[in-house]
Amino acid sequence: MTNFKPRPAKQPWSRSNKAQQREIIAASILPALIAAAIYFITKIDYTVALIGLYLPLQLVVAGAVGLRAFGRRGIWDAMLMVLTIFLSANVLVLLASVLASVIFKGAPALSSQFFTQNNIYVSTTTSLDYGGVGHAILGSLIVVAITTLLAVPLGISIAVFLTQSQSRLRGPVRTFTQAISGLPSVVSGLFILSVMPLLHLEHVGFAGALALFPLMLPTIARVAEEALRLVPADLRMAALALGAPNYRAFFKVILPAAKTGIMTALLLGLARVIGETAPLVLTLQVNNGTNVNPFSGGMASLPRYIYSFVNTKYQTSQERAWGAALVLLMLVGLLFGAARILGRKKSLKTRAKKVSKKGKH
Amino acid sequence: MANELATASTLHTEDVSVWFGQRQVLDKVSLTFPANQVTALIGPSGCGKSTFLRTLNRMHELIPGAGLAGSVYLDGKDIYGESVDAVDVRINIGMVFQKPNPFPTMSIKENILSGLKLSGRKIGNSEELVETSLRRASIWNEVKDRLDDQALSLSGGQQQRLCIARSLAMNPQVLLMDEPCSALDPGSTRRIEETIEELSDSMTIVIVTHNMQQAQRVSHQTAFFLADDNTPGGVVEFGSTEDVFNRPVDARTNDYVNGHFG
Repeated sequence: MTNFKPRPAKQPWSRSNKAQQREIIAASILPALIAAAIYFITKIDYTVALIGLYLPLQLVVAGAVGLRAFGRRGIWDAMLMVLTIFLSANVLVLLASVLASVIFKGAPALSSQFFTQNNIYVSTTTSLDYGGVGHAILGSLIVVAITTLLAVPLGISIAVFLTQSQSRLRGPVRTFTQAISGLPSVVSGLFILSVMPLLHLEHVGFAGALALFPLMLPTIARVAEEALRLVPADLRMAALALGAPNYRAFFKVILPAAKTGIMTALLLGLARVIGETAPLVLTLQVNNGTNVNPFSGGMASLPRYIYSFVNTKYQTSQERAWGAALVLLMLVGLLFGAARILGRKKSLKTRAKKVSKKGKH
Repeated sequence: MANELATASTLHTEDVSVWFGQRQVLDKVSLTFPANQVTALIGPSGCGKSTFLRTLNRMHELIPGAGLAGSVYLDGKDIYGESVDAVDVRINIGMVFQKPNPFPTMSIKENILSGLKLSGRKIGNSEELVETSLRRASIWNEVKDRLDDQALSLSGGQQQRLCIARSLAMNPQVLLMDEPCSALDPGSTRRIEETIEELSDSMTIVIVTHNMQQAQRVSHQTAFFLADDNTPGGVVEFGSTEDVFNRPVDARTNDYVNGHFG
């Protein structure tokens, strides 16, 4: 044996010990406390307190703790960590406050009748005990469903064309799709409005669906294209080497492998159009009653309902608008949840099979 | 046909030349792969041996701009004949790739049966076919209790043997292997080599390999490919493995098999 010295007990890979952890906790709380105290005592502007006072203070303290714990590289590490957390917290707060304001302002309007009744006999001052957005929920669902039925097959076809073919037209098609995705929604509405006479269309639900179509199509096409592109070329080779014709290789191997991505494409497409107001304002006549026929008569939709009620100065009307906004959020959440469950169905089934098999053994 | 094994076939190429766009990559390759023989294709990278392998079941056609001259005969029938569909060719001539590529959305069992589904053929006795195929690829004992697991849950070597089993389920007369062991550890490599030896009883095998020892271990005959600078690749020497490695006629073959270049 050579004179081998055991290493010191401190493990080189452990990030921190107990004392350091206490220091880190103190360093994360103290600057906030100090900044808050100064803010409440001096009554300075909130933004100034946050960015001019708290952030520098927190950075300096974090840098100091980092220096003590890990030496010079610890300073950068700690400061970058503080910046990252600070910025992501800002985004989270933004998102949370949007959700919170919709929920708090919209919740008072919600009741079972708000979901089921329509807007007939409702004026700007009618009490919240009467009327609802049932007709607008139906209208939104029908219009978006038609748009989806039109946009999904074409969008996925474009994605397939862009990823699976060797055609020279791919470049132009991709540019064109990207160009449509930059189309302002109001222009899309105007375009459909201008061709409606040619199609002998009144301001009906189908016209509204057509106006949303150019907005949904590029989203689906682009996201589905990315999803298909992520499927390794090896898999297609393997399928073709087994004697598969191109179409079977696509439907049985490539499409299943891209399934989740294509589901995401559908969701993003839905999210893109379900809240669109401008195209519907131009192409779809408002209807206070319930209408489920997309080819005759006007139709209500949630964004349009919000738009018209929020523009009044009456409190009940504004509360209705907030209520409808909350319903719209819930609807989006429901659609997302449903699509996720549909997209996961297969893997859940196989997992269940596995579990039951394990149980038997 | 109750999972009856096909008989091996003789594969024969005549003056096969390949172009990618304007660039010629293979020049007049004429080789014969007799039934039940294992043929190794060796040579430095970029000499066209993988490309040549792909012309044997028309997989090179998937590369944009690929062109071919010459003929490939499977038991005397030209697979590039006018009335021959590339899809049918690939059913009879299976292929195993360098990187294991099981279908990730399918279970082990579904992977084995995928060839039949993909080529639109009826599945007779699926249980039996799955077992026979997995046994022939010597992986049955490892996976028999987990046939419904995802194929990606297997190790790399197992995945490659699963891919071999998947090709075997199609009951091919010829099996093409493109460096099947280059991504695997020595243990898995040995098992695949054993599998190749067993399979040669029932089919003709062509294997591309960069591993000289592997070529000597598994093959009956060897073809040495070489491409000089800016010239298309071609066969320098072709003969029994014994001769090519121990009594090479061409000086370049001698240099290559003894590790002087490449």
